[in-house]
Parts: sequence; structure tokens; C-alpha cells
Amino acid sequence: MISHRVMRSGILAAAWVALACTVAAGPVRADETCNSPYTAKLIKGQEDYVYVWALGVEGLGDGSDKLVTVDVHPKSKSYGKVIASVSVGSRGEAHHMGFTDDRRFIWAGGLSEAKIYVFDIATDPAKPKLVQTITDLADKTGYLGPHTYYALPGRMLVQALSNTNDKGGVTGMALYNNKGELIASYKMPTDGGGDGYGYDLAVNPKKNILLTSSFTGYTNYMRSLWELVKDAEAMKRFGNTMVVWDLKAIKPKRILSVPGAPLEIRWSLNQADNWAVTATALTSKIWLVKQDGKGEWQAKDVATIGDPAKVPLPVDISITRDGKGLWVNTFMDGTTRYFDLSNPEAPRQTYAKVTGKQVNMISQSWDGKRVYITSSLLANWDKLGAENEQFLRGFVWNGKELKQVFEVDFTKETLGRAHHMKLGSKALRTTAADAAALERLARR
Amino acid sequence: MAVRGGGRRAIASAAARVRQRTGAAALLAWFVCATSASAHAGEPLPALDFDPPPPGSYTLHRIMAAPDGAVLGIDGRSQRLSQFTRDRITLLGFIYTTCSDPGGCPLAYRVFDAMKQAIETTPALHDRVRFVTLSLDPARDTPAIMRQYAGSRPSDTSGGLRWYFLTTGSAHELMPLVEGFGQDIRYTIDRSNGKPRWELSHVLKLFLIDAAGFIREIYTSAFLHPRTVLNDIETLLIEGSGPGIEAAGR
Repeated sequence: MISHRVMRSGILAAAWVALACTVAAGPVRADETCNSPYTAKLIKGQEDYVYVWALGVEGLGDGSDKLVTVDVHPKSKSYGKVIASVSVGSRGEAHHMGFTDDRRFIWAGGLSEAKIYVFDIATDPAKPKLVQTITDLADKTGYLGPHTYYALPGRMLVQALSNTNDKGGVTGMALYNNKGELIASYKMPTDGGGDGYGYDLAVNPKKNILLTSSFTGYTNYMRSLWELVKDAEAMKRFGNTMVVWDLKAIKPKRILSVPGAPLEIRWSLNQADNWAVTATALTSKIWLVKQDGKGEWQAKDVATIGDPAKVPLPVDISITRDGKGLWVNTFMDGTTRYFDLSNPEAPRQTYAKVTGKQVNMISQSWDGKRVYITSSLLANWDKLGAENEQFLRGFVWNGKELKQVFEVDFTKETLGRAHHMKLGSKALRTTAADAAALERLARR
Repeated sequence: MAVRGGGRRAIASAAARVRQRTGAAALLAWFVCATSASAHAGEPLPALDFDPPPPGSYTLHRIMAAPDGAVLGIDGRSQRLSQFTRDRITLLGFIYTTCSDPGGCPLAYRVFDAMKQAIETTPALHDRVRFVTLSLDPARDTPAIMRQYAGSRPSDTSGGLRWYFLTTGSAHELMPLVEGFGQDIRYTIDRSNGKPRWELSHVLKLFLIDAAGFIREIYTSAFLHPRTVLNDIETLLIEGSGPGIEAAGR
């Protein structure tokens, strides 16, 4: 086999030479600030909708997880109002979601089960429709708690948080095609310093790099936070690593030590940049991942978020499209912070505002002028009593001040706990298999 | 293949020499190209900013079976698409003759043309690979229009590569193929010149299909690089995918 490869490498040398002379490369395109770079159809103007993936609450409404559509176009009569809601008919710790590469579907799932729900958002972007439920993740991979849904061309790479064997943090990724058929699975590395844990994933195709982070397993994230923090042994079972993978081969290349549960990963969208940032939940730090002078990928602690001694618990982050700014939400103190990322080696906090009694996810429009915040972290980690606010809040950002412009009270609306968000647009209405539309083209 | 220590070292050394020569040749070619870039359409290809995994060192999974359906060749004869997606490695892309988006069909053509040249200069790839371009606009892109559009490409087999230009008889025949491949297309109404005018647009995807009819890789315009396509073709050849293994949909 080796000699075979050598032979072919030699044979193809002529092909490389021929190629180098004749082709122009496609532009590397950025994306809305946290989507896969393979996601088509960016919303660069005013978004019409925010889709909120909400956890069901027993006794509230139908008690099931649901995808909620909120009208966020300022000129709309229903601005700031819920205009649609799709219940999945059960409660499974709804958490994150992601677009397919053609942006026609949202994949969403829960952490207490292994189901993946597929919603059609293209036929009528104002009224998503549940069109498929994928149920083979646990049986075929042993993974539990699908978390991140990351579009690759024609496929979805799903990062899980746990496993069905011991419900600990050792887990992996599953690769599906866009029809919902499992193609392959990949274990998170447990050798070479890897802890086997997973959380988020994000790719940099220019560098052929897939980057993953690490959190904890079902036995921890489904437990009451207030009990968990008193259990010293359980608190040891959090991820302390990030993994640099060869994207093409989906093989681990390098394990990075990033103590304290590194969560969301954001690559800079600036085409000239090749670095990513993450925030560690337990140690309250911003880490920078980039290549050193020798081309090796390294992780570096570059900033502190709040007072780590008070465990503010940084949760979600959102990077601006130019890679110059980073929003950071800290759950415990309900604070939204803005960091100047002009020098990613030394991020500097320039703004902070308490935006809720508890805050979790944060998303921004492409132009950065609108910011959306939700409240729920996990059903058993959310605060109790009057501090358990559940909302979607919309803000405008003028570069100096966040000003709230609307709120949807998810408890009052009997919707549940508001978690992950994705933006939608009327302009993305499309039906691929629309022969009638193509026939109209014939009459143009 | 079992290789003893000395033999393994010798092969590794030979591989290194081959790769050194390949790298040097590529650099030379790049230098030559860079100095004559104005002679080519579009911007010159920047060097890949990473070392791709060697062909054969990774797996191209079966993403899904390539869909099948009725298509029309440039001679107007109705055939099954599977006749053009089996028994050889196929690079397939959807195009339409009025497409002018520089990141769409024109880019696809630059890649196809570059790949054609590369394959023609590589005897080991002769008669192993085919290209298929399938129209997204059957109303306008009749077989006659496709024949005119293709020029001499379909009849040029001097380099051991066949390039097929296909269309369909109607939108109803086309749509199952579009949906089956997951090729997203959009319709917009252009009102800039008074009378509303329907326009078609798409996000470029190229599909690498193995000889058994399975889609093994999908490339999009934003991250389309011919070298990675050639690496993937080489990976499929090393794998030995071809006639005799279980074929898609048979």
C-alpha cells in the first residue's frame, strides 16, 4: 500500500502542476456570527424572526419542549410577539440547534435524550414545521445528549455530551447526511491527554481545522447545580481540554489543555484571521486558540471574566463579524459584558450591564446593532423562585449602550424555559422541489 | 503489505523524494503562474494554507446514493442519469447556461477545466474519471442549447476523460434529482427593469461520486480547491472503489 501511494503521488505530481496554473479559488465567506461557514444565505439586513428552542416545564402549557417563533421586525404589527410555536410533544431538556447548510432546516435536540428534531423553516419561515425525528443516535453510536449541530456540505456533524453506558462525560460526534441518515461516528480522544469529553465544535476550512471543547456528562448536567457544587468528586468530572482535529480526515491532531470546562467556540470571521476564542465556565477565562510561530496550535489564557472567585459562570459568547468584539454572558450575576478583541492576545472589557436575574444565550445580528438574550441554562441549573426569570429580550446596541426594546415572558406565555436562538427571514422562503416555480421561469 | 525495516525505510525515503519533487514542481509552477496571472480568467489560485492529509490516509464515507432519473443528452436521447454516475468516478455539478454569478457556474467551469487539464496530463487517471454537468433550467437549456454551450468538450476524449452535458425534459423530471442531491435552488423576482422577471440562483455544489454510485464528497464554492478534489479522487482509487462492489440502488 505504501509503495502504491508513492507511485500515485508521483503520478499526480503532473496534475498538481497543471492545476496550479489554471484555477481561481472561491472566496472564503464569513457567516452570521456563530453559524457554520458552510451555511448558505446569510441574513445581512434586518432579520424577521428569532427562533427560540425552549425547554418544557411540567405544569406550564403542554409541558413539552417547543420551537417558538418571535417576530422581531420593528415595523411589523406583531413586533416582539410570539407568532408561532411547535411542540415536540415531550420534554427532553431542549438545548441547542443548528441550520443545515442550505438553511432550509433547523436540527434541534435535548440533553436528557438522544432524539434529534428536524424543523422545516423554508416552506414558511414564520411557521416552522416539525418534519422528522431522528431516533437512532443512541442505538447506533452509544452517544447521549446531542448538543451542537454543525453544517458541513450536505451533512450535519453532531457533538454529543454524554453516553448511554455510564452517562458520564466520555462521548463523541455523529455525522449524518441531510436526510437524517447516520454516516459515521467519531469518539472524542481519551489518549494523549484527551479526557473524552465534548461540548461545542467549530471549523476553519481555510486551515482544515475542526476544534472541539468539553463540558460534562448527563450525571452532572441533569443534577441540581446546588447539589452538584457541594460534591467534590462530581466537580472533578468536567472537561479540561480542547481538541484540534484534521477536518478532512476528522482525526485528532492535538490536545490542548484548557482547564475549567471550555464551552462555546467562535472563530474570527475576519478573513485575515485564523484564531478562535472560547470561555471557560468554571474558571471564568477567555482563551485564545491560534498557531504559534512553528505552526502548532496552542491555547492561551488571555483574559478574565468578572471575578472568578465569585464564579460568575460565563456561558454563551458572541463574536462580531469583524472579529473585533465579543459579547459574554455570565449566568450567575445576570451580566452581559462586551470585550474589545482588537488585540485577541489581550481582550479588554469595555462595557457591562445586568440584563436579567439569570442570562444564558446571546446572539447578535450580522451588523451587530441588535442583540438577543435568553435566560435558561439547564432545567436543574436555573435559579429558583423569583430569580427564575424566563425570557427572550431584544436590545439595540449603538456601540456604547445596550437598550432593551422588547421582552417575551416565556413563563407568562406558558412556553417554558428560553434557551438557544437562531435568526430567520421571510426572504429565505424556498421550496427546493418546486417544479411550478421552475415552470414559471420558463415563461419569463 | 508487510515491509521489513530496511525496505520500509527505503520506501519512506522514496516517498519523501517524490513529495519533495512534487513540492518543488508545484512551487515552480506556482511561480510561473503568478508571473502570468493576467493571462487567465479570474484570480490565480492561492496556495492551500494547510497540508492536506495524504490520499488514502482518510476515509470518504458514503454520504448517500446518487439519485437516479431520466435525463437528456446533447443528442436529445433520453437516458438514465445512473448511466453517467456508475463504473467510473464522477464529478457532477449543476449548472445553467444563463448563470453569471462568478461564485457559481463560472467558478465551477474553472474548476472543471483545471481538473480536465490535470487529468489529461495524468495517464493513471485516464478512463477512470468522468465529468457531468446537469442543467437546472430545462426550459431554456434544451439539448441543442447544451450542445452549443458545451462546444468541443464532449467530443474531446484525447485525454481519457469524457465530459457529459445533460439536461432534463421538464422541471418535473429535474426536481427529484435536485432534491435527491440536496442541491438548493432559489427563485427571485427581479423588478429592476419594470416588468417582473423570474430569476434562478443556486449555491454551487460539486458532487464526487464513486464508481458504485455513492456520493463520497460534496464541495461548495466557498471552499472549493481542485487539489483537494484530486486528493479525494486518488483516495477513491487507492480504496479500489469500482465495479464489483455493491452498487448504490441496485
